[in-house]
Amino acid sequence: MAMKFDVVIIGGGWAGCSAAAQLCDSGLKVAIVSEGLSLSVSGSATPYARLAELQRRGVTVLRGDRAVGALIEDGRVKSVHTRNLGDDALQADRFVLATGKFFSRGLLSDKEHIWEPVFGADVEYDPDRSKWYDPDFNKPQPFMKYGVKTSPDGFVLAGGAVVGNLLAVGEIVAEGYPQSDLGKL
Amino acid sequence: MNNLEQCLKCNLCTLVCPMMEVNPAYPGPKKAGPDGERYRLKDPAFFDYALKYCLNCKRCEVACPSDVHIGDMIQSARIKYGSQAHIRGRNGLRDWALASTDLVGSVASPIAPVVNGVLKMKPVKAVMHGVLGVHKNRTFPAYSSRKFSSWFRKQDQSGFDKYVSYFHGCYVNYNYPELGKAFVKLMNAAGYGVHKLEKEKCCGVALMSNGFADKARSQGEVNLASMRKAVAAGEQVLTTSSTCTFTMRDEYADVLGLRNEDVRDSLMLATKWLYEKISEGEVKLKFRKDFRMKVVYHTACHMQKMGWQVYSIAMLQMIPGLELTVLDQNCCGIAGTFGFKKENYEWSQEIGGKLFSDIESSGADVVATDCETCKWQIEMSTGKTVLNPVEILAEALEY
Repeated sequence: MAMKFDVVIIGGGWAGCSAAAQLCDSGLKVAIVSEGLSLSVSGSATPYARLAELQRRGVTVLRGDRAVGALIEDGRVKSVHTRNLGDDALQADRFVLATGKFFSRGLLSDKEHIWEPVFGADVEYDPDRSKWYDPDFNKPQPFMKYGVKTSPDGFVLAGGAVVGNLLAVGEIVAEGYPQSDLGKL
Repeated sequence: MNNLEQCLKCNLCTLVCPMMEVNPAYPGPKKAGPDGERYRLKDPAFFDYALKYCLNCKRCEVACPSDVHIGDMIQSARIKYGSQAHIRGRNGLRDWALASTDLVGSVASPIAPVVNGVLKMKPVKAVMHGVLGVHKNRTFPAYSSRKFSSWFRKQDQSGFDKYVSYFHGCYVNYNYPELGKAFVKLMNAAGYGVHKLEKEKCCGVALMSNGFADKARSQGEVNLASMRKAVAAGEQVLTTSSTCTFTMRDEYADVLGLRNEDVRDSLMLATKWLYEKISEGEVKLKFRKDFRMKVVYHTACHMQKMGWQVYSIAMLQMIPGLELTVLDQNCCGIAGTFGFKKENYEWSQEIGGKLFSDIESSGADVVATDCETCKWQIEMSTGKTVLNPVEILAEALEY
């Protein structure tokens, strides 16, 4: 069982909402999974207003829902499962990963590893944990630069291979890796 | 589940709490939930009776980025630490009457025309306002002189290959059998016969919020036992009310401590079931070509919590000739029996204000929502007709 869309965006923060706005303007059937909210400089109420506007424009907004896993076959994402919809997967031709970094659960970590929980994307980070942070609190912290790896075109890498229909946008992309151009979708 | 340690103190719950916006006496979800729980665990004397202002809308839980069970924590604290008599307060009789949907419905139904007439009379409303504490502007949903269950008994549902079970709920049974009839028509059109559950009691949501948790628990046991029988017979248990569904799927386990995991996945709203059957190609519905309706969809709070509005919306979008706009999710303010109480009326209307103005400026003919108490509130406050998506689907059928 599945719900079908042209594009499914995971993450309803600044990057995800901007992507959704751009894509629904070009006439695509878009769904956005928005778990919690991003605490951005613009204030917490702003993403709510943006989601409401997207909904009025016909975007399917799954508010308070969480992507819990994805089916990837032959280098392409087939579907994404969410907590609320259970067995009813979200199917689409293309997917956008816009879940941000640690606070918004775009990246999870334990004492040795950092990983991206939805697609199992490759994450750029130092295997030596002591290098993750600078003991000087006021210095830029290396872990803030960590994120998913992308191909020169901005597609997400998983297991070293390009996932051909999964673009990454916003904070989740590791520093030094190219950001996606939504025009490529 | 008491996961207060997960709270990051980000205050997103505070931002989305509808009660907090209008009532400064309510400490808000963060303070009433995880913060207060920390104190209550040390000493139950820290229990604050202002927790009675919680609408149990669960918007805090939808907003929480850390999955803290804020609403459950508040509901559980009310049951565990609050004196139930104190929560009922001076208006014990009123709260008992509002919570006892089954009993009051059974008494009122046979004499429905009298009850409906009397409840509309100004002097009666004045007495109810002054003595009982039910706000005079509220109109009780009219009682139906023929219960859904009596109507259903006369229906021939034999001869189908496949069946579903129907949990109709109090509102369909005592007040609004039309919705139940629409459900039966829709299921029959989909090729399924309808069975009633062996025994059905009120889901208990009104009992829980009015301080009758034990009664809610015993009614829950009856419902779960009947559902188990239906599931054992290979039938899904379908509903037409988002709040009944949410209560039986989630609140039974999380707040009342009932074990429902064996039937939970078989219990769902009719729109979700239909959407899935249609997507699988197992069911085909034919809609009238001449059907025209301009609809705005209001996502009820408990519907949003389940995340199932997508199914009702997708079902409505299948009807050719139906023009649909999805409204921003705002609480309508009634919160079940809360808004009927005199002392809560002003807050109730203030909370719903945003939704009412959205509806009024939409120019829609009909508001669609899956919750019956939202229906009463929106009909009273905007004058628009409010229909359950199941009714709209049944009306649009070519059948």
